[in-house]
Amino acid sequence: MALTKAKFENFTAFKDLEVEFSPGINALIGENGTGKTHLMKVCYAACDVSTTGGSFEDKLIRVFLPSGNRSNRLVRQAREETQGTAQVHCGERRLNATFSTMEIFAGMVIISDVPPWAGSPIRSVYVPPKDMLANAPGFRSLYELREIHFEEFCYDILQRADLPALREPIDDTHLRMLDSLESVIGGRVVVKGEEFFLSNEQGDLEFTLLAEGWRKLGLLWLLIQNGTLQSGSVLFWDEPEANLNPKMFKTVITVLLELQRAGVQVFFATHDYVILKELDLQMTEEDQVAFHSLYRNEAGEIACHTVDRYLGIHPNAIDEAFDDLYDRQIERSLGGLKS
Amino acid sequence: MIVFTEGSLEITFNNVLNAEKFEEHGLTAMKAVDFLVELHDRYLFIEFKDPEQSDPNSSVMDYADNFKSGGLDQDLKYKFRDSFLFRWAERRPHKPCYYYVLVALRWLSTADLDRRTNALRRSLPVGTPLSWVRSIVDDCAVFNIASWNRTFPDYPVRRLP
Repeated sequence: MALTKAKFENFTAFKDLEVEFSPGINALIGENGTGKTHLMKVCYAACDVSTTGGSFEDKLIRVFLPSGNRSNRLVRQAREETQGTAQVHCGERRLNATFSTMEIFAGMVIISDVPPWAGSPIRSVYVPPKDMLANAPGFRSLYELREIHFEEFCYDILQRADLPALREPIDDTHLRMLDSLESVIGGRVVVKGEEFFLSNEQGDLEFTLLAEGWRKLGLLWLLIQNGTLQSGSVLFWDEPEANLNPKMFKTVITVLLELQRAGVQVFFATHDYVILKELDLQMTEEDQVAFHSLYRNEAGEIACHTVDRYLGIHPNAIDEAFDDLYDRQIERSLGGLKS
Repeated sequence: MIVFTEGSLEITFNNVLNAEKFEEHGLTAMKAVDFLVELHDRYLFIEFKDPEQSDPNSSVMDYADNFKSGGLDQDLKYKFRDSFLFRWAERRPHKPCYYYVLVALRWLSTADLDRRTNALRRSLPVGTPLSWVRSIVDDCAVFNIASWNRTFPDYPVRRLP
Protein backbone atom coordinates (compact mmCIF):
# COMPACT_ATOMS: atom_id res chain seq x y z
CA MET A 1 0.00 0.00 0.00
CA ALA A 2 1.17 3.51 -0.79
CA LEU A 3 2.08 6.23 1.70
CA THR A 4 -0.97 8.39 2.32
CA LYS A 5 0.15 11.28 4.46
CA ALA A 6 3.02 12.94 6.31
CA LYS A 7 2.63 15.27 9.22
CA PHE A 8 5.25 17.40 10.93
CA GLU A 9 5.30 19.54 14.05
CA ASN A 10 8.43 21.53 14.81
CA PHE A 11 10.51 19.09 12.83
CA THR A 12 13.57 20.48 10.96
CA ALA A 13 12.20 23.29 8.74
CA PHE A 14 8.52 22.62 9.46
CA LYS A 15 6.46 24.27 12.18
CA ASP A 16 3.16 22.64 11.36
CA LEU A 17 2.67 20.86 8.07
CA GLU A 18 0.46 18.09 6.78
CA VAL A 19 0.69 16.76 3.23
CA GLU A 20 -1.64 14.16 1.74
CA PHE A 21 -0.10 12.03 -0.98
CA SER A 22 -1.30 10.62 -4.23
CA PRO A 23 -0.83 6.86 -4.52
CA GLY A 24 0.69 7.64 -7.94
CA ILE A 25 3.06 10.50 -8.71
CA ASN A 26 3.85 13.23 -6.20
CA ALA A 27 5.68 16.19 -7.72
CA LEU A 28 7.19 18.48 -5.10
CA ILE A 29 7.98 22.02 -6.14
CA GLY A 30 9.04 25.08 -4.22
CA GLU A 31 11.94 27.42 -3.71
CA ASN A 32 15.13 26.30 -1.99
CA GLY A 33 14.63 25.85 1.75
CA THR A 34 10.96 24.90 1.63
CA GLY A 35 11.56 21.33 2.78
CA LYS A 36 11.05 19.22 -0.36
CA THR A 37 14.06 17.02 0.36
CA HIS A 38 13.31 16.81 4.09
CA LEU A 39 9.84 15.55 3.36
CA MET A 40 11.18 12.85 1.04
CA LYS A 41 13.91 11.83 3.48
CA VAL A 42 11.43 11.28 6.31
CA CYS A 43 9.12 9.25 4.10
CA TYR A 44 12.05 7.23 2.78
CA ALA A 45 13.30 6.52 6.31
CA ALA A 46 9.83 5.30 7.26
CA CYS A 47 9.66 2.98 4.24
CA ASP A 48 13.16 1.66 4.86
CA VAL A 49 12.54 0.68 8.49
CA SER A 50 9.36 -1.08 7.43
CA THR A 51 11.57 -3.58 5.58
CA THR A 52 14.56 -3.74 7.93
CA GLY A 53 12.70 -3.56 11.23
CA GLY A 54 15.34 -1.03 12.31
CA SER A 55 14.86 2.07 14.42
CA PHE A 56 13.09 5.02 12.78
CA GLU A 57 15.16 7.41 14.90
CA ASP A 58 18.46 5.85 13.81
CA LYS A 59 17.41 5.91 10.18
CA LEU A 60 16.36 9.55 10.38
CA ILE A 61 19.70 10.41 11.93
CA ARG A 62 21.56 8.54 9.22
CA VAL A 63 19.68 10.19 6.35
CA PHE A 64 19.73 13.70 7.87
CA LEU A 65 23.18 13.54 9.49
CA PRO A 66 22.62 16.11 12.26
CA SER A 67 25.81 17.34 13.93
CA GLY A 68 27.17 14.79 16.39
CA ASN A 69 24.35 12.43 15.40
CA ARG A 70 22.20 14.21 17.98
CA SER A 71 18.53 13.59 17.36
CA ASN A 72 17.54 16.78 19.19
CA ARG A 73 19.11 18.69 16.27
CA LEU A 74 16.11 17.57 14.22
CA VAL A 75 13.76 19.67 16.33
CA ARG A 76 12.98 22.93 14.58
CA GLN A 77 15.53 25.55 15.55
CA ALA A 78 13.32 28.05 17.32
CA ARG A 79 13.78 29.42 20.83
CA GLU A 80 10.51 28.18 22.27
CA GLU A 81 10.44 24.74 20.65
CA THR A 82 11.35 21.77 22.82
CA GLN A 83 9.77 18.92 20.94
CA GLY A 84 9.48 17.95 17.30
CA THR A 85 7.42 15.25 15.62
CA ALA A 86 7.50 13.53 12.26
CA GLN A 87 4.68 11.21 11.33
CA VAL A 88 4.21 9.08 8.24
CA HIS A 89 0.92 7.37 7.39
CA CYS A 90 0.24 4.39 5.24
CA GLY A 91 -3.53 4.03 5.39
CA GLU A 92 -4.39 3.04 8.95
CA ARG A 93 -0.77 2.40 9.84
CA ARG A 94 1.23 5.24 11.27
CA LEU A 95 4.87 5.69 12.22
CA ASN A 96 5.59 8.52 14.56
CA ALA A 97 8.84 9.87 16.02
CA THR A 98 9.02 12.61 18.62
CA PHE A 99 12.33 14.25 19.48
CA SER A 100 13.05 16.45 22.47
CA THR A 101 15.56 19.21 23.10
CA MET A 102 14.96 19.32 26.88
CA GLU A 103 18.06 18.33 28.76
CA ILE A 104 16.31 15.71 30.83
CA PHE A 105 15.12 14.03 27.67
CA ALA A 106 18.19 14.90 25.58
CA GLY A 107 18.54 12.49 22.70
CA MET A 108 15.37 10.71 23.67
CA VAL A 109 13.00 9.74 20.96
CA ILE A 110 9.50 8.45 21.46
CA ILE A 111 8.36 6.22 18.66
CA SER A 112 4.90 4.87 18.21
CA ASP A 113 3.75 2.72 15.38
CA VAL A 114 0.13 1.71 15.62
CA PRO A 115 -0.77 -0.71 14.12
CA PRO A 116 2.72 -2.22 13.77
CA TRP A 117 4.61 -0.46 11.01
CA ALA A 118 7.07 -3.23 10.27
CA GLY A 119 4.29 -5.75 9.61
CA SER A 120 3.98 -4.88 5.92
CA PRO A 121 7.26 -3.95 4.28
CA ILE A 122 7.26 -1.02 1.85
CA ARG A 123 10.13 -1.45 -0.59
CA SER A 124 11.65 1.88 -1.51
CA VAL A 125 14.60 3.58 -3.11
CA TYR A 126 15.96 7.11 -2.75
CA VAL A 127 17.83 8.53 -5.71
CA PRO A 128 19.92 11.55 -4.70
CA PRO A 129 20.81 14.34 -7.18
CA LYS A 130 24.42 13.15 -7.28
CA ASP A 131 25.26 9.90 -9.04
CA MET A 132 26.77 7.27 -6.76
CA LEU A 133 27.30 4.38 -9.19
CA ALA A 134 30.58 5.73 -10.56
CA ASN A 135 31.97 5.87 -7.01
CA ALA A 136 30.67 2.44 -6.05
CA PRO A 137 33.90 0.41 -5.85
CA GLY A 138 34.89 0.22 -2.21
CA PHE A 139 32.22 2.64 -1.03
CA ARG A 140 29.98 0.10 0.63
CA SER A 141 32.82 -1.55 2.56
CA LEU A 142 34.10 1.85 3.59
CA TYR A 143 30.65 2.89 4.79
CA GLU A 144 30.17 -0.31 6.76
CA LEU A 145 33.56 -0.21 8.47
CA ARG A 146 34.23 3.47 9.02
CA GLU A 147 32.39 6.57 10.20
CA ILE A 148 32.15 8.55 6.99
CA HIS A 149 29.90 11.55 6.53
CA PHE A 150 27.55 10.39 3.79
CA GLU A 151 23.78 10.27 4.01
CA GLU A 152 22.78 6.64 4.28
CA PHE A 153 20.68 6.64 1.12
CA CYS A 154 23.99 6.94 -0.80
CA TYR A 155 24.88 3.53 0.62
CA ASP A 156 21.36 2.15 0.24
CA ILE A 157 21.15 3.07 -3.43
CA LEU A 158 24.25 1.01 -4.19
CA GLN A 159 22.74 -1.95 -2.41
CA ARG A 160 19.54 -1.65 -4.45
CA ALA A 161 21.46 -1.18 -7.71
CA ASP A 162 23.64 -4.20 -7.01
CA LEU A 163 20.73 -6.61 -6.70
CA PRO A 164 20.84 -9.30 -9.37
CA ALA A 165 18.15 -9.50 -12.06
CA LEU A 166 14.79 -11.05 -11.25
CA ARG A 167 14.44 -14.79 -11.59
CA GLU A 168 11.02 -14.58 -13.20
CA PRO A 169 10.56 -13.03 -16.67
CA ILE A 170 10.01 -9.26 -16.85
CA ASP A 171 6.49 -8.22 -17.86
CA ASP A 172 5.70 -6.17 -20.97
CA THR A 173 5.26 -2.89 -19.12
CA HIS A 174 8.67 -3.12 -17.48
CA LEU A 175 10.24 -4.33 -20.74
CA ARG A 176 8.85 -1.27 -22.49
CA MET A 177 10.40 1.00 -19.86
CA LEU A 178 13.74 -0.78 -20.16
CA ASP A 179 13.63 -0.38 -23.95
CA SER A 180 12.92 3.36 -23.66
CA LEU A 181 15.86 3.85 -21.34
CA GLU A 182 18.18 1.64 -23.40
CA SER A 183 17.42 3.65 -26.54
CA VAL A 184 18.44 6.85 -24.76
CA ILE A 185 21.60 5.64 -23.02
CA GLY A 186 22.60 3.35 -25.87
CA GLY A 187 22.99 0.07 -24.06
CA ARG A 188 22.34 -2.02 -20.96
CA VAL A 189 23.97 -1.78 -17.58
CA VAL A 190 26.14 -4.62 -16.30
CA VAL A 191 27.79 -4.99 -12.92
CA LYS A 192 31.23 -6.56 -12.54
CA GLY A 193 32.34 -6.85 -8.96
CA GLU A 194 31.44 -3.43 -7.60
CA GLU A 195 31.88 -1.62 -10.93
CA PHE A 196 29.07 -0.55 -13.22
CA PHE A 197 29.43 -0.55 -17.01
CA LEU A 198 27.29 0.48 -19.96
CA SER A 199 27.31 -2.46 -22.30
CA ASN A 200 26.50 -2.44 -26.04
CA GLU A 201 27.85 -3.97 -29.27
CA GLN A 202 30.94 -1.75 -29.06
CA GLY A 203 31.92 -3.13 -25.68
CA ASP A 204 31.67 -2.15 -22.04
CA LEU A 205 32.17 1.43 -20.92
CA GLU A 206 32.85 2.06 -17.25
CA PHE A 207 30.48 4.50 -15.54
CA THR A 208 33.33 6.87 -14.65
CA LEU A 209 33.68 7.55 -18.39
CA LEU A 210 29.96 7.97 -18.93
CA ALA A 211 28.03 11.25 -18.87
CA GLU A 212 26.51 11.72 -15.42
CA GLY A 213 23.03 12.13 -16.89
CA TRP A 214 23.28 8.72 -18.55
CA ARG A 215 24.48 7.17 -15.30
CA LYS A 216 21.25 8.29 -13.63
CA LEU A 217 19.15 6.79 -16.39
CA GLY A 218 21.31 3.68 -16.12
CA LEU A 219 20.48 3.53 -12.42
CA LEU A 220 16.77 3.74 -13.22
CA TRP A 221 17.26 0.93 -15.76
CA LEU A 222 18.90 -1.26 -13.09
CA LEU A 223 16.18 -0.60 -10.52
CA ILE A 224 13.50 -1.62 -13.01
CA GLN A 225 15.44 -4.59 -14.30
CA ASN A 226 16.24 -6.01 -10.86
CA GLY A 227 12.68 -5.67 -9.58
CA THR A 228 13.32 -2.92 -7.01
CA LEU A 229 10.66 -0.81 -8.70
CA GLN A 230 7.64 -3.06 -8.78
CA SER A 231 4.03 -2.66 -7.74
CA GLY A 232 3.83 -1.58 -4.11
CA SER A 233 7.27 0.01 -4.00
CA VAL A 234 8.09 3.70 -3.60
CA LEU A 235 10.59 5.71 -5.63
CA PHE A 236 11.98 8.95 -4.20
CA TRP A 237 13.98 10.98 -6.73
CA ASP A 238 15.54 14.26 -5.70
CA GLU A 239 15.93 16.58 -8.69
CA PRO A 240 15.68 14.16 -11.61
CA GLU A 241 16.76 17.03 -13.83
CA ALA A 242 20.25 17.23 -12.28
CA ASN A 243 22.92 16.62 -14.96
CA LEU A 244 20.34 15.61 -17.57
CA ASN A 245 19.82 17.39 -20.86
CA PRO A 246 16.19 18.58 -21.08
CA LYS A 247 15.73 16.50 -24.23
CA MET A 248 15.87 13.40 -22.01
CA PHE A 249 13.09 14.62 -19.73
CA LYS A 250 10.47 13.26 -22.09
CA THR A 251 11.79 9.73 -21.54
CA VAL A 252 12.14 10.30 -17.79
CA ILE A 253 8.52 11.38 -17.44
CA THR A 254 7.31 8.59 -19.74
CA VAL A 255 9.04 6.07 -17.48
CA LEU A 256 7.76 7.68 -14.26
CA LEU A 257 4.20 7.62 -15.57
CA GLU A 258 4.60 3.98 -16.63
CA LEU A 259 5.94 3.11 -13.17
CA GLN A 260 2.94 4.82 -11.61
CA ARG A 261 0.59 2.86 -13.88
CA ALA A 262 2.40 -0.30 -12.78
CA GLY A 263 1.64 0.48 -9.12
CA VAL A 264 4.82 2.25 -8.03
CA GLN A 265 4.35 5.34 -5.89
CA VAL A 266 6.69 8.10 -7.06
CA PHE A 267 7.94 11.20 -5.27
CA PHE A 268 10.20 13.68 -7.01
CA ALA A 269 11.37 17.17 -6.13
CA THR A 270 12.10 19.49 -9.01
CA HIS A 271 13.04 23.03 -9.91
CA ASP A 272 12.57 22.44 -13.61
CA TYR A 273 9.84 23.78 -15.89
CA VAL A 274 10.38 21.20 -18.64
CA ILE A 275 9.99 18.29 -16.21
CA LEU A 276 6.65 19.64 -14.96
CA LYS A 277 5.46 20.57 -18.45
CA GLU A 278 6.30 17.08 -19.72
CA LEU A 279 4.27 15.63 -16.89
CA ASP A 280 1.40 17.97 -17.71
CA LEU A 281 1.51 17.03 -21.41
CA GLN A 282 1.92 13.29 -20.96
CA MET A 283 -0.44 12.59 -18.04
CA THR A 284 -3.93 11.37 -18.80
CA GLU A 285 -7.17 11.61 -16.83
CA GLU A 286 -6.55 8.12 -15.47
CA ASP A 287 -3.12 8.93 -14.06
CA GLN A 288 -2.89 9.70 -10.37
CA VAL A 289 -0.75 12.78 -10.02
CA ALA A 290 -0.48 15.37 -7.25
CA PHE A 291 1.50 18.59 -7.52
CA HIS A 292 2.59 19.77 -4.06
CA SER A 293 3.69 23.38 -3.94
CA LEU A 294 5.72 24.07 -0.80
CA TYR A 295 6.05 27.73 0.08
CA ARG A 296 6.51 30.13 2.96
CA ASN A 297 3.28 31.76 4.08
CA GLU A 298 2.92 35.31 5.41
CA ALA A 299 4.17 34.19 8.80
CA GLY A 300 7.29 32.79 7.13
CA GLU A 301 6.30 29.20 7.91
CA ILE A 302 6.34 26.40 5.35
CA ALA A 303 2.92 25.52 3.97
CA CYS A 304 1.79 23.24 1.16
CA HIS A 305 -0.83 23.63 -1.52
CA THR A 306 -1.71 20.41 -3.33
CA VAL A 307 -3.52 20.23 -6.68
CA ASP A 308 -4.04 17.58 -9.33
CA ARG A 309 -3.49 19.83 -12.35
CA TYR A 310 -0.39 21.64 -13.49
CA LEU A 311 -2.24 24.88 -14.16
CA GLY A 312 -3.56 24.89 -10.60
CA ILE A 313 -0.10 24.98 -9.01
CA HIS A 314 0.08 28.00 -6.76
CA PRO A 315 2.43 29.45 -5.81
CA ASN A 316 4.61 28.22 -8.67
CA ALA A 317 8.22 29.23 -8.07
CA ILE A 318 9.26 27.90 -11.48
CA ASP A 319 6.63 29.88 -13.39
CA GLU A 320 7.50 32.95 -11.37
CA ALA A 321 11.08 32.68 -12.60
CA PHE A 322 9.83 32.44 -16.22
CA ASP A 323 7.45 35.38 -15.67
CA ASP A 324 10.39 37.45 -14.55
CA LEU A 325 12.45 36.41 -17.59
CA TYR A 326 9.57 37.17 -19.95
CA ASP A 327 8.88 40.55 -18.35
CA ARG A 328 12.52 41.53 -18.76
CA GLN A 329 12.52 40.27 -22.37
CA ILE A 330 9.43 42.41 -23.09
CA GLU A 331 11.12 45.40 -21.51
CA ARG A 332 14.03 44.89 -23.92
CA SER A 333 11.70 44.32 -26.89
CA LEU A 334 9.93 47.61 -26.21
CA GLY A 335 13.14 49.48 -26.96
CA GLY A 336 12.37 52.20 -24.43
CA LEU A 337 8.76 52.68 -25.60
CA LYS A 338 6.75 54.51 -22.99
CA SER A 339 3.17 53.43 -23.44
CA MET B 1 -8.35 57.42 -30.40
CA ILE B 2 -8.49 54.90 -33.27
CA VAL B 3 -10.44 51.66 -32.95
CA PHE B 4 -10.16 48.58 -35.17
CA THR B 5 -11.63 45.13 -35.02
CA GLU B 6 -9.92 42.01 -36.27
CA GLY B 7 -12.28 39.06 -36.12
CA SER B 8 -13.73 39.22 -32.65
CA LEU B 9 -10.83 41.17 -31.18
CA GLU B 10 -10.96 44.92 -30.80
CA ILE B 11 -7.92 47.14 -30.35
CA THR B 12 -7.92 50.80 -29.43
CA PHE B 13 -4.93 53.02 -30.19
CA ASN B 14 -4.48 56.07 -27.99
CA ASN B 15 -1.73 58.68 -28.32
CA VAL B 16 -0.42 57.60 -31.73
CA LEU B 17 0.38 59.72 -34.84
CA ASN B 18 -1.42 57.26 -37.09
CA ALA B 19 -2.77 53.71 -37.10
CA GLU B 20 -3.99 51.81 -40.14
CA LYS B 21 -5.30 48.39 -40.93
CA PHE B 22 -2.34 47.46 -43.06
CA GLU B 23 -3.60 44.14 -44.38
CA GLU B 24 -5.91 46.16 -46.65
CA HIS B 25 -3.05 47.63 -48.72
CA GLY B 26 -4.44 45.84 -51.80
CA LEU B 27 -1.35 44.04 -53.09
CA THR B 28 -2.28 40.38 -52.87
CA ALA B 29 1.20 39.17 -53.86
CA MET B 30 2.60 40.43 -50.60
CA LYS B 31 1.75 39.31 -47.13
CA ALA B 32 0.83 41.94 -44.59
CA VAL B 33 0.67 42.40 -40.85
CA ASP B 34 -2.72 43.41 -39.47
CA PHE B 35 -1.89 46.91 -38.22
CA LEU B 36 0.76 49.51 -38.80
CA VAL B 37 1.08 52.20 -36.16
CA GLU B 38 3.22 55.31 -36.41
CA LEU B 39 4.61 56.96 -33.28
CA HIS B 40 6.84 59.99 -33.30
CA ASP B 41 10.00 57.89 -33.00
CA ARG B 42 9.07 54.48 -34.49
CA TYR B 43 6.70 52.21 -36.41
CA LEU B 44 4.90 49.36 -34.72
CA PHE B 45 4.03 46.38 -36.93
CA ILE B 46 1.28 44.42 -35.21
CA GLU B 47 -0.03 40.98 -36.04
CA PHE B 48 -2.98 39.26 -34.37
CA LYS B 49 -3.40 35.50 -34.29
CA ASP B 50 -6.76 34.39 -33.01
CA PRO B 51 -7.01 30.63 -33.38
CA GLU B 52 -10.25 30.43 -31.43
CA GLN B 53 -12.00 32.38 -34.18
CA SER B 54 -10.00 32.36 -37.39
CA ASP B 55 -10.17 28.86 -38.82
CA PRO B 56 -13.18 26.70 -38.02
CA ASN B 57 -11.61 23.76 -39.88
CA SER B 58 -8.66 23.31 -37.57
CA SER B 59 -8.81 22.76 -33.86
CA VAL B 60 -7.46 25.31 -31.44
CA MET B 61 -5.18 22.67 -29.96
CA ASP B 62 -3.67 21.91 -33.38
CA TYR B 63 -3.09 25.59 -33.86
CA ALA B 64 -1.53 25.95 -30.43
CA ASP B 65 0.75 22.97 -31.01
CA ASN B 66 1.79 24.39 -34.38
CA PHE B 67 2.50 27.73 -32.80
CA LYS B 68 4.42 26.33 -29.86
CA SER B 69 6.54 24.08 -32.06
CA GLY B 70 7.52 27.02 -34.25
CA GLY B 71 5.34 26.03 -37.22
CA LEU B 72 3.92 29.54 -37.53
CA ASP B 73 7.27 31.32 -37.35
CA GLN B 74 7.65 31.34 -41.14
CA ASP B 75 4.27 33.00 -41.60
CA LEU B 76 5.05 35.61 -38.95
CA LYS B 77 8.47 36.25 -40.48
CA TYR B 78 7.21 36.79 -44.06
CA LYS B 79 4.33 38.97 -42.92
CA PHE B 80 6.76 41.33 -41.32
CA ARG B 81 9.31 41.29 -44.14
CA ASP B 82 6.70 41.93 -46.85
CA SER B 83 5.13 44.70 -44.81
CA PHE B 84 8.53 46.26 -44.23
CA LEU B 85 9.34 46.08 -47.98
CA PHE B 86 6.00 47.66 -48.84
CA ARG B 87 6.74 50.57 -46.52
CA TRP B 88 10.33 50.83 -47.81
CA ALA B 89 9.04 51.05 -51.40
CA GLU B 90 6.75 53.90 -50.39
CA ARG B 91 9.80 55.86 -49.23
CA ARG B 92 8.21 56.72 -45.95
CA PRO B 93 10.55 58.50 -43.55
CA HIS B 94 12.72 55.91 -41.90
CA LYS B 95 12.05 55.19 -38.27
CA PRO B 96 12.99 52.20 -36.15
CA CYS B 97 10.57 49.30 -36.62
CA TYR B 98 9.20 47.06 -33.89
CA TYR B 99 7.14 43.94 -34.50
CA TYR B 100 4.61 42.72 -31.94
CA VAL B 101 2.53 39.58 -32.27
CA LEU B 102 -0.54 38.86 -30.18
CA VAL B 103 -1.65 35.23 -29.94
CA ALA B 104 -5.09 35.05 -28.36
CA LEU B 105 -4.63 31.75 -26.55
CA ARG B 106 -5.24 32.15 -22.86
CA TRP B 107 -3.25 29.16 -21.73
CA LEU B 108 0.04 30.17 -23.32
CA SER B 109 2.46 30.34 -20.42
CA THR B 110 5.13 32.99 -20.11
CA ALA B 111 7.65 30.24 -20.84
CA ASP B 112 5.85 29.55 -24.16
CA LEU B 113 5.71 33.26 -24.97
CA ASP B 114 9.35 33.77 -24.09
CA ARG B 115 10.45 30.85 -26.26
CA ARG B 116 8.40 32.09 -29.24
CA THR B 117 9.77 35.60 -28.76
CA ASN B 118 13.29 34.19 -28.90
CA ALA B 119 12.43 32.17 -32.03
CA LEU B 120 10.91 35.21 -33.75
CA ARG B 121 13.94 37.33 -32.86
CA ARG B 122 16.16 34.71 -34.52
CA SER B 123 14.03 34.31 -37.65
CA LEU B 124 13.41 37.98 -38.57
CA PRO B 125 16.29 38.51 -37.58
CA VAL B 126 16.74 41.07 -34.83
CA GLY B 127 20.29 42.39 -35.05
CA THR B 128 22.29 43.29 -38.13
CA PRO B 129 25.31 41.93 -39.96
CA LEU B 130 28.33 44.24 -39.81
CA SER B 131 27.83 45.46 -43.41
CA TRP B 132 24.28 46.73 -42.84
CA VAL B 133 23.88 50.43 -42.11
CA ARG B 134 20.44 50.00 -40.62
CA SER B 135 18.30 47.22 -39.24
CA ILE B 136 15.04 45.95 -40.70
CA VAL B 137 13.57 45.32 -37.27
CA ASP B 138 14.80 46.72 -34.01
CA ASP B 139 13.05 44.21 -31.80
CA CYS B 140 9.98 42.03 -31.49
CA ALA B 141 7.90 40.18 -28.93
CA VAL B 142 5.04 37.70 -28.67
CA PHE B 143 2.13 38.31 -26.28
CA ASN B 144 -1.13 36.80 -25.16
CA ILE B 145 -4.02 39.17 -24.41
CA ALA B 146 -3.18 39.45 -20.72
CA SER B 147 0.48 40.27 -21.23
CA TRP B 148 -0.42 42.64 -24.13
CA ASN B 149 -2.80 44.67 -21.99
CA ARG B 150 -0.31 44.72 -19.15
CA THR B 151 2.43 45.99 -21.46
CA PHE B 152 0.40 48.39 -23.63
CA PRO B 153 -2.22 50.14 -21.51
CA ASP B 154 -2.56 52.75 -24.32
CA TYR B 155 -3.47 50.07 -26.88
CA PRO B 156 -5.97 47.87 -25.04
CA VAL B 157 -7.29 44.71 -26.67
CA ARG B 158 -10.57 43.07 -25.77
CA ARG B 159 -12.65 40.23 -27.12
CA LEU B 160 -15.99 41.42 -28.38
CA PRO B 161 -19.03 39.72 -26.93
